[in-house]
Amino acid sequence: MGTLIRTLGGRAAQAVLVALLVGTACFLMVRVLPGDMAYRIAASRFGYDMVDSAAAEAVRQELGLDRPWFIQLGAWFADLARFDLGTSLASGEEVVDALAVQLGHTLLLSVSALALSLLIGPPLGALAGLRQGGWWDGALLALSAALRAVPAFVIGVALMIWLAVEWEWLPAGGVGGWREVVLPALTLALGLAAASSRVARDAVGAVVASPFFGFARMKGLGDAAAFRRHGVRNAAIPVVAYLGLQLVVLIEGMVVVESLFAWPGIGHALVHAVLGRDIPMVQGTALVMGLLFVTLNALTDLACWLLDPRRRAQ
Amino acid sequence: MSLIVENLRVTGPEGVLVRGASFALQPGQPLVLLGETGSGKSLLAQAVMGALPPGLAAEGRILLDGQDLLALSAKQRRALWGRRIAMLPQEPWAALDPSMRAAAQVEEVDRLVHGRAATEARALTAARLAHLGLEGAGRRYPFQLSGGMNQRVALAATEAAGAGLLIADEPTKGLDAELRDTAGRLLRAEAEAGRMLLVITHDVALARLLGGQAMVMLEGQVVEAGALPALLEAPQHAYTRRLIAAEPAHWAPWPHRGRGRSVVEGKGLFKRLGGQELFSGLDLAIGAGEVVAIAGRSGCGKTTLGNLLLGLTQPDQGTIRRGDGVKPLGLQKLYQDPLAGFAPHQRLGNGLEELQRRHALPADAARRLLPRLRLNPALLARRPSEVSGGELQRFGLLRALLLNPALLFADEATSRLDPLTQQEVMTLLGECVAERGTALLLVTHEMALAEKTAERVVRLPAFSEGKDIPPQALGRPA
Amino acid sequence: MTLSPKRLLGGLLLAAVAGFALLAPLHGADPLKQNLSDALLPPGGAYPLGTDHLGRDLLARLAAGARLSFGFALLAAMAAALPGTLLGLLAALHGGWLERLLLGLADAVQALPALLLVVLVTAFAPGDFLPLYLGIALALWVEFFRISRNTAASILARPQVEAARLLGFGTGHILRRHLWPEVAPLIATLFAFAAGTAVTTIAALAFVGVGARPPIPEWGSMMTELLPYYAEAPLALLLPGLLIFLTVLGLHLLAGRGRA
Repeated sequence: MGTLIRTLGGRAAQAVLVALLVGTACFLMVRVLPGDMAYRIAASRFGYDMVDSAAAEAVRQELGLDRPWFIQLGAWFADLARFDLGTSLASGEEVVDALAVQLGHTLLLSVSALALSLLIGPPLGALAGLRQGGWWDGALLALSAALRAVPAFVIGVALMIWLAVEWEWLPAGGVGGWREVVLPALTLALGLAAASSRVARDAVGAVVASPFFGFARMKGLGDAAAFRRHGVRNAAIPVVAYLGLQLVVLIEGMVVVESLFAWPGIGHALVHAVLGRDIPMVQGTALVMGLLFVTLNALTDLACWLLDPRRRAQ
Repeated sequence: MSLIVENLRVTGPEGVLVRGASFALQPGQPLVLLGETGSGKSLLAQAVMGALPPGLAAEGRILLDGQDLLALSAKQRRALWGRRIAMLPQEPWAALDPSMRAAAQVEEVDRLVHGRAATEARALTAARLAHLGLEGAGRRYPFQLSGGMNQRVALAATEAAGAGLLIADEPTKGLDAELRDTAGRLLRAEAEAGRMLLVITHDVALARLLGGQAMVMLEGQVVEAGALPALLEAPQHAYTRRLIAAEPAHWAPWPHRGRGRSVVEGKGLFKRLGGQELFSGLDLAIGAGEVVAIAGRSGCGKTTLGNLLLGLTQPDQGTIRRGDGVKPLGLQKLYQDPLAGFAPHQRLGNGLEELQRRHALPADAARRLLPRLRLNPALLARRPSEVSGGELQRFGLLRALLLNPALLFADEATSRLDPLTQQEVMTLLGECVAERGTALLLVTHEMALAEKTAERVVRLPAFSEGKDIPPQALGRPA
Repeated sequence: MTLSPKRLLGGLLLAAVAGFALLAPLHGADPLKQNLSDALLPPGGAYPLGTDHLGRDLLARLAAGARLSFGFALLAAMAAALPGTLLGLLAALHGGWLERLLLGLADAVQALPALLLVVLVTAFAPGDFLPLYLGIALALWVEFFRISRNTAASILARPQVEAARLLGFGTGHILRRHLWPEVAPLIATLFAFAAGTAVTTIAALAFVGVGARPPIPEWGSMMTELLPYYAEAPLALLLPGLLIFLTVLGLHLLAGRGRA
């Protein structure tokens, strides 16, 4: 139990670190952008033709831009601590409200992608691991090496053209029923599965070659029973641990894939906010993506802890 | 029940590995296969089991209760595993599933191999574990059990499988003397309970403990066979004689050299490691030219004590003082794993040259020492992983001698070597330190080795045996 | 690094893409020159690989994109590898507060996924190359730091180093004979992976619009521009994707072993 609490405590500290990092970056961003900040913000809110010095002054008052920087930074973090993320400069909407909607979409996509990748990758890898050096092992090696060299957006473009435009099986973008989730989720899942299949292959190979697997067979257990009793759990431990590393790939892919498929999630919103210099939205989306990353990592830690008695005992 | 092996040969891509072994095995009479690494004794066991590594093939006849195993298909042979033939693994702590509780690994044999109901299997398992003195261990995972306990769990699992033939491959590898004796007694009990027992080992002491029949193997050939203990008392073949003579208990005692002025002196030493107190209030001084041994079970702090004297670790309390005129370079060390002491990517010769340059030694200093250590100059061109363990340990000795040390600390320096190589290296080590008047500090878990070589033996108690016992410096028995 | 068939293949792939990047300018076309009457032409005639939607020569644009990607990846990987490796070795050798400080710094950087970090840095000046380059180096140095520090720390704890110190050798010897022979191949492998990551990252950022911007000939942004025209000019869309694939595959094969 002690190790779990320590690990999760570490994750909580990581979450705070994410908030500090994102908050500081966004605060700096506001200050280093060229030109008069209030004027620029007013322009982005009302359009360049509609801005006058009165509007800029209103913005200055509203955001407290005339105070010294350290007071502003303090106020900035105080707002952050209260989860008061301000309003979008582009739409005037409360950032928190926009995030709530986007987070739902992003969660749906990320969970679908992870589930799909786990359905594809580890089973195919396990088959290769059971017969290392066989034809399937070689084919999977080539396939996964090739897939890992293709960036997510290229996979996405290819799937979109084939499955959505040429064959018209699935919609090319947007959001609605399950059909819209499939393409972006599959795009993310293929990249993840390419890596996790290799890890599963190595893990299964190592378990099958291990002395404890050999002893299980010598005790009289059949191959299937030995694999079920001693193979699956031990091979799953490194695969799940690797999932933690893959979360980086998932979150990164989200930014690109959501944009490609016009999936109204956090990643899509982040790109929009960066392009529109909508700093409250940049902060909000980056913060939520970072926290999502930390949360998924914490869940992976928990899974490892449950799977591996050695971790529990430490 | 019987096992008859006739003219068994194992061949591989490099040629014949086991040349025509024949023997018969009866219940209640253990058969011990004695030989060193590479003698083919493990291959013989694997051939009987039907678990030869890929690429190797067995010929001849293996008759288990009259049925020729070599005539069976691989699948038919698999069906015998557990039910008719069982093999006790070499390293039990690696042979048990690390993520499954001990009891479950025994219980599954009753349930999946014999198809017993869950409650019945549980009761049988509890009885088996209790019989082997493992009450309460069933709930624990292998990494929470000691090496000896893991071995008993593995034994319980093979008992559950119920095979009439039990093969044990190096069952005492990595165990200290006390655990080795326990393991030997347990195996003998298996034979006495009516099982056929085939034990493969390089440990003559284990053979003596088991009794029954013995075969000695050398380079794939059975060179001698006979009943125990007669075979060990009157060995016929020269190799068997050397094997027996290589046991530390049979070594000639090293001559006393007396004790000169102090080389290093520890006073009131106290050290904790991982929350365990290793020793406290310990005084130990080593004089010039003296041979001192620290003996004790694994994990008792022997190596730590040696490292303290060399200044590699600091004591929690107490002081270490080097004698007058003894420089830090005057304290040198030999490692348990000879490979561990060398830079893996550097050729041995280059490493020695670098050492000579570093300390402005004559350019041929190392070469002149080679013959004394019976090392071939051609080995200088090799990397550490390309020479044998015995050769590398002698290079380690050569390297240390170049610096003309006042004290040499040999940390289990021969425990990973085969018995004959161990004897050879230890003899050279003793001669070299005697010639130079170098003090020698030995750390070993073999009491016999300590007693034959050292003038004083410091016994450290294992912390599991009670930390109240103060370490005693024992006089060497006359 | 030992030369395996895999590494050889990777090297050949990279050499092919590099050869293409360096030889294509001999053709003489300007990657930026528009000729709207020649839009979306198939390969042939004056345009060996055809034209894009603005009538620009694809061969010239692809080759310019290759030079951009290669140069960028090399610089970014170098800017990550050099400080990362040196700090890693320093942390392992020095230990104590310095090691703790650097490890904390690495933790802080890795609290955010790398691309998110790069996007945040680029948000300071979208479309500029400097933040892009800084962002990638900032995200990637951590891996070099961790690998070199962890490897070095584990070697330093081995008896071979204790033995060297007992024999009177100093830190320079330990660095040269014990640490570097084991750290260097890992760094070389990581360098190839890092260059691959850099290639993918600038392409992905340009693809979504926060990286290099039109009319700069960059593979990712070329794909964005050409996506609407894929029915008329499928090859024009395929080629930048193919070049990214070949470059990254070449780098991964050159790296040799898989990422630990």
